Order: sequence, then C-alpha cells, then structure tokens
Amino acid sequence: MHGSQAPGGRPEVRLAAVLLTGLLVWLLSAPLSAQQPRTGGTLTFIVSAEPPSFDAHREATFALIHPARPHYNLLVKFDPLSYPKVVPDLAESWTISPDGTTYTFKIRRGVRFHDGSVLTSRDIKASYEKIIFPKGDVVSVRAAAYTMVGSVEAPDPATVVFRLKWKSPSFLQNVASPWNWIYNADILERDPHWYERNIMGTGPFKFVEYVRGSHWVGARNEDYWVKGRPYLDGYRAVFIGNAAAQVNAVKSGQALVEFRGFSPPQRDDIVRALGSGATVQESGWLCNNTVVFNSKRKPFDDARFRKALSLAIDRWGGSTALSQIAIVGPVGGLMRPEGPFATPQADLEKLAGYGHDITAARAEAKKLLAEAGVPEGFEFNLLNRNVEMPYRYVAVFLIDQWRQIGLKVNHVVKETGPYLADERAGNFDAAVDFNCDFYDDPDLQLVKFLSVEMPNGAVNALNYGGYIDRTLDRLYDEQSKSEDATRRMTLVRQFEKRLLDDKVWQIYVLWWKRIIPHSSKLHGYKVGPSHYLEDLQDVWISE
Amino acid sequence: MARYLTRRLLLMVPTLLAVAVIIFVLVRVIPGDIVELRLVSGGSFVTKSVIEAERARLGLNKPIWRQFVDWMSGLPRLDLGRSMWTAAPIIQEIALRFQLSLQLAIMSTLIAVAIALPLGIAAAVRRGTWVDYGVQVISVAGLATPSFWLGILLLLALLSYFHWLPPLTFTPLWVSPKANLLQLIWPALAVGYRYSAVTTRMTRSAMLEVLQEDYVRTAWAKGLAQRVIVVRHALRNALMPVVTVIGLEFAFLIGGLVVTEQVFNLNGIGKLFVDAIARRDYTMIQGLLLLVATVYIVVNFLIEALYVWLDPRVSYG
Repeated sequence: MHGSQAPGGRPEVRLAAVLLTGLLVWLLSAPLSAQQPRTGGTLTFIVSAEPPSFDAHREATFALIHPARPHYNLLVKFDPLSYPKVVPDLAESWTISPDGTTYTFKIRRGVRFHDGSVLTSRDIKASYEKIIFPKGDVVSVRAAAYTMVGSVEAPDPATVVFRLKWKSPSFLQNVASPWNWIYNADILERDPHWYERNIMGTGPFKFVEYVRGSHWVGARNEDYWVKGRPYLDGYRAVFIGNAAAQVNAVKSGQALVEFRGFSPPQRDDIVRALGSGATVQESGWLCNNTVVFNSKRKPFDDARFRKALSLAIDRWGGSTALSQIAIVGPVGGLMRPEGPFATPQADLEKLAGYGHDITAARAEAKKLLAEAGVPEGFEFNLLNRNVEMPYRYVAVFLIDQWRQIGLKVNHVVKETGPYLADERAGNFDAAVDFNCDFYDDPDLQLVKFLSVEMPNGAVNALNYGGYIDRTLDRLYDEQSKSEDATRRMTLVRQFEKRLLDDKVWQIYVLWWKRIIPHSSKLHGYKVGPSHYLEDLQDVWISE
Repeated sequence: MARYLTRRLLLMVPTLLAVAVIIFVLVRVIPGDIVELRLVSGGSFVTKSVIEAERARLGLNKPIWRQFVDWMSGLPRLDLGRSMWTAAPIIQEIALRFQLSLQLAIMSTLIAVAIALPLGIAAAVRRGTWVDYGVQVISVAGLATPSFWLGILLLLALLSYFHWLPPLTFTPLWVSPKANLLQLIWPALAVGYRYSAVTTRMTRSAMLEVLQEDYVRTAWAKGLAQRVIVVRHALRNALMPVVTVIGLEFAFLIGGLVVTEQVFNLNGIGKLFVDAIARRDYTMIQGLLLLVATVYIVVNFLIEALYVWLDPRVSYG
C-alpha cells in the first residue's frame, strides 16, 4: 500500500528531528533559566555607618541611602545596570524645550504611597520645592546645586514642569540625584520635618523597623507599581562599623554584601573563605583624595612650592603599589578616569606631576623649591583624618614622595571633628581631603575649587585653601551654562590646567576604586562608579 | 545604719549635680562641631547660611549658660533631651542599648565570680603548691590578655572550625533565650575571663590574709572541717575587698566595653559612647556620662550596704 508521505520525511526521522530539536532547545535554555530571577528571600547586607535622620534632602551620607533608598522612588534615575544612562522612574517620560530651559515630566498614573494615597505631580513639586527652596528652619544641603531652577510647577496631576533661569547641560542628571526622594505633599504641608523621623514613600519596599545601632528592615511592597518587582521578600541592613566584623559577616554567610566596598586584602580574604561562592565586582569610583594647601601660610602661598609638591609625586608608580593594598588606583585629573569628562591621556601627562619620567619631574621640583627659597629639609605638617582606608595609606605615600625632594613632613592625624575644625579654621599647612559624588558632572565636582569668597558674595565653605581665583570662578560659570558639549569640555580642561598645573591650589593624588566582593547568591546587582546609586528594585537572591 | 544610708542616698543628688556641671563644661571643650560633621564631612557643598541655620535649630547658637539651663531643667523629670545627631530622645537611645550592656555585665560578672572564687580560694588554701602556681598562671594570663583580643580569637576559631558566627543582631532574652545567649555568651566569656583574673588575685590575697588570723587558727585547733573553716569563717571576712573589686568592675562594664562591643558588633552603651563622641553629639555624651556616673554612685552605695551584711562590726552610725 502506498501511502502519502508527509513533508519532512519518514516518521522515525521526524521523531528524531523533533527529539534533537527539543534537546537543543533544552540545552540552550538551561543556562538561561538558571539566570531567571527568583522571587523571594531576604537579602542581608552590611552598612558601615548609621543615618543621622531619615530625610535624604538634608543628609549627605551613604549610610542613609543604603538602608532607606528602597522605600522611595525618584523622578528619574540612573540606570543601575547602565550608568550614566538616565531612565524613567516616577516620570514615565519627559520633554525639553528647544531653548533647554523648560523640562516637562509626565508622571506615572496609579502609583501609590505606602499609606495607599495616590501620587500626583503635587507630591513631586512639594518634594523639589523642599530641596530647592527650603522654607523656615528646613535644611536642604543641595539647594546650591539647583540655583538654575526658577520654578517648579504642577499644571495638572500628571505633569511637572521645571523652568530654568538658564540652560543647564546636566540638569537631567541632577534630577536623577539619588538624594531626591519623592515625599508626600500632604505630609510635608502638615510638618516639613516629618520625614526626618519617619519613612513613607512609593518605593519597592515598605518600612518595617529600624533598631538604632543594630539593623533596618524592609518588606516587599505588594502594590508596587512595577509589575513583578521587587524580587526580594525583604531586606535586612545590619549596621557594622568594625571592618574586621564586616568581613567576618560576609565570610560566614550571615551577610551577602556590603555595598560601599572592601579593600584588596579584605576582598582576597573573603574570596579565600567563600571560594566559588564569592563573586567580585570592581569599578572606578567617583571619589578621590586631594591635598589642599593653606594658601595663607608661607611657603604654601607660592605657586612654585605647590607645583614642586605635585611634581614630586610618582602617581603612576603609586597607583601600581597602592592599588594592591588600598582602595585607590586610577590616575586621573579633575574628572574621573573612564568617565565622560575624563582627561585624555595626552593632556593628563602634560599636567604637573602626571608625567612618566619621575626623575625629571623631581629635578624640576627641586629647582622650583630653590626658586621659591624653600631650603633642603624644610618641615611642614600634613593634616589627615583618622580614617584608615584610604586616607592613611595616601598620606604615608605622600610623605615618602615629598621626602624624596628633601622635605620633612609630619603626619598629623586627627579625629574627623577636630580635622574639619582645623581645615575650616585654616589651622594646617597641607591637608588630605576628598571628593565624592554620584555623577561625573563638572558642576558637582568642580564647585569645591571655587574661590572662598564667590563673586555673588556667598562663602564657599568647602574651599579650605582660602584662595580667591576669579579665573576659576569664570571658567566654572561658563562651563555650567555652556550649551555646546565640546566647548564645555574645553572649559573643563582649562579649569583643570589652571587648578592643577598653573596655580596648583590643590592637587589630586589618586582616584578610588570600588571593590565589591559578594556572595554568588546575589544577582541583579552591578557595581557602578558611585556608592550612592544602589537600588534594590531588581536585585534577587538565588536561594 | 538606716540614717547613714539615707544620708548617702541624699548625697547622691549634689554629687550628680557636680558631675553634671563638669560633664557639660568638658563636653563643650572638645574641638569639633556636630553641624560640620553632619553636613560637610561627606564632602557636600553646603553654604554657610545652611550651617548657621542648622546650628540655630540645634540651639547651639544660644549662650552656653542658656544651653546649660535648658539641659538641667529637664534632669529632674529624667528628661535628658534629644540626641543632636538623631533627634531621638536620649532616654530612648540609652534604654535600647542599656539592656544589652546590663545583661552582658551580669553574665560576665557571673562567669568571673564562678571562676574567681573557687580558684582564688583554692590558691590560698593550697598556697605554694602546684594548685597555687597553676591559678597564678591562669590569672596572670587573664590580666595580660585584653578582652577584645580574646574575643577576636574566639570569633576566628568559631569561623575557622565551625563556619559559624554569633548572630549579628541582639535578641532580648525574653524573646528568644537561645538567640540571646548564642550572641552574648562569647563576649561574656572574653570579658569574664579578664574580669575573673582580677577577682581571683584579690580573692587569693584576701583569703591568705584572713587564713592567718587567730580566729581561723582557733577554728583549726577546734577540729572544724576545712570546708566550714574556709567557707563559713574565712571567706565571708575575705569577701569585702573582693566585693569592692567586683562592684567597680561591674560598673566599668556598663560603659567601658568599647572595643569588645566593636569586635562582636554589639549594640551596647560603649559603642554608643564612641559614636556620640565621634559625632560631637553633645547632648548624648552628657546623657551617657551622667548614666555612667550614676551607675558608679549606685554601685558604690550598694557595696557600702553590702559591707554591713558581710561584717556586722561595720557601723556607719
């Protein structure tokens, strides 16, 4: 009997083909399904300090961001997996007017606060007005970062409009600031200080408890507006100040991660203990150590002396050596190496103290010392704060570098309180300082180098050097308002040359490096260049 | 006796008052400023006006005498004010940590006494024998070993051999005795060992002195059993200096376990103390110092009361 043969050949061949295809599909999909996010579990992580209050608008420490940010949303945020891309958060979209001075954000509908109330543009407006135009005794430490904002308007419940006084090229990134948590307008109206002691946001996790000195607990927000998120049932942030205790907690599996970072020896210790159970993520860090000179003291008032100090530092050699033992490494100028404003290598090597020929640099340094009338064996104090990592390592390195051009430097280590008091009072010769930010933006990072008395009469409380440099002020102002990206970059380079090479008011030593060794059970987390940008919305644990 | 104790109780008031004045002045002398630490130490760009506004909000712009009066006026109501750092009531902040510190002090004391009394008595009774030398080795080692160092060794041993560490956070005894003891037994052992060393040596020397007394010799001559002589006749009279040492050590433990608390990540008074000083949280430092002073005064009072019970010849009339 002749039967018709189905297309595809004999039945056994078809069966074999189907089985083979099935096998291939299974083999290909198996690794993928292993990476499928799992819902459930409680993430325990370490926070090495404690928040003073719960209000991010008035605080400046990661110790608040890490435990409390998961309770809140921002208007827009940095993509946690793709920094520095800005992605929607409570705003589902935005438009920018052709002249760049009006930003219109469309707010998501159906977003609810943890108390059940509906979020509207009024809440966004109230939150931003608290940040930009604080009233009465409300403190906002970021008001100065939004001087370009003329008004915040909420023309309808789903629209927020920011009207700027001038075009600001990094305004959108400033709005993505991890500190700009959106609060409830009704609560702020009743008591603008309420959020200093209470938590109530729209974020993926609801607040459960905070035991001061011990831990902070969050539980999944079942009504979260992103469907299927968060993956975790909850989280438990444990406050551990002692570095050895932090490492032990990760080694023992009691905590899966510490989001700020560990030093290379601590990383190695954790990896040795956990073996294949450890994953290490590393990244550049938007933090660095600088040295500020007291320009009101001799011979620090002489640019030749300051330049000699910068020339004496072998940054490239120091980077290789110190990165083995401390959280420093990358050599860079004013802006983060690898960041969008990083100094090109060719430009960098032209700056004082950034060349590769350290012998020649030190010879030039000695010549400058002689010109400035600084004798061999000149002695001065280097003020430092009593923070082991990386301040002490950096200071010891500097003292050795300066010894090699015949200077004798005393390391004066003080607790943070007296250290800041000395800096503020100008009671130092040179001091190890630092700079940390959430975004590679010249507006944020160059502001501390402006004159101590600014052209508008304001006092720059971060200029401990006490100098006035109107060229720097002008360059900062120009770059901040520059509409052309190339022009802005050029202005930043001019600012950098003026600060680090011509006047040498301050110097950069090394940039920091973030090292996050964590349990391999932790997924959906990618280390970024700022420890202020942690976001638990998409994080999950594998068992 | 009752009159004496009442007088001692009443004397506590001016003593605490004097302590309060000294504390207030000393705290204000420490260099550093809480507002700068809070707003500027993170590197934020903060204008001077913001700093001044915050200082005013905390009342730091008021004259010192006014700040002192404000603080003192709350003391009779046991209102120590609010922490300048967290804005939480200080009583609440201290109470949270006090239960842990108190329990740790009690556990350490129990461990120390359990070790020290038998060892001290044995060393005194067997003076000059291997028992005495053995006890002396143990007690000198205890004196030479800092509690925090022993704590680190304990933790490393637990981690290396059992891949286990005590719980990271405190659970009150009445919520889960197991979790509570699993966390506190290790620091109690580390602290108790050093504590026992001091007490052992004191017990031994006090016992040696008493054992040479005539009435003890008489007791031996009467043919009393050794246990009766040592426990009933000698020990009770030797306990006075031992009780003094135990009391002072106990008071020290309430706020003095700074490093041990860091090593074991314990949320106790010592850690709060260090944090408060580092932050220049003036009101918190004042509250804590007052607490420690009160503990010392109360413990001293109890020791004196105990003397009467231990030795009826003691009279405070």
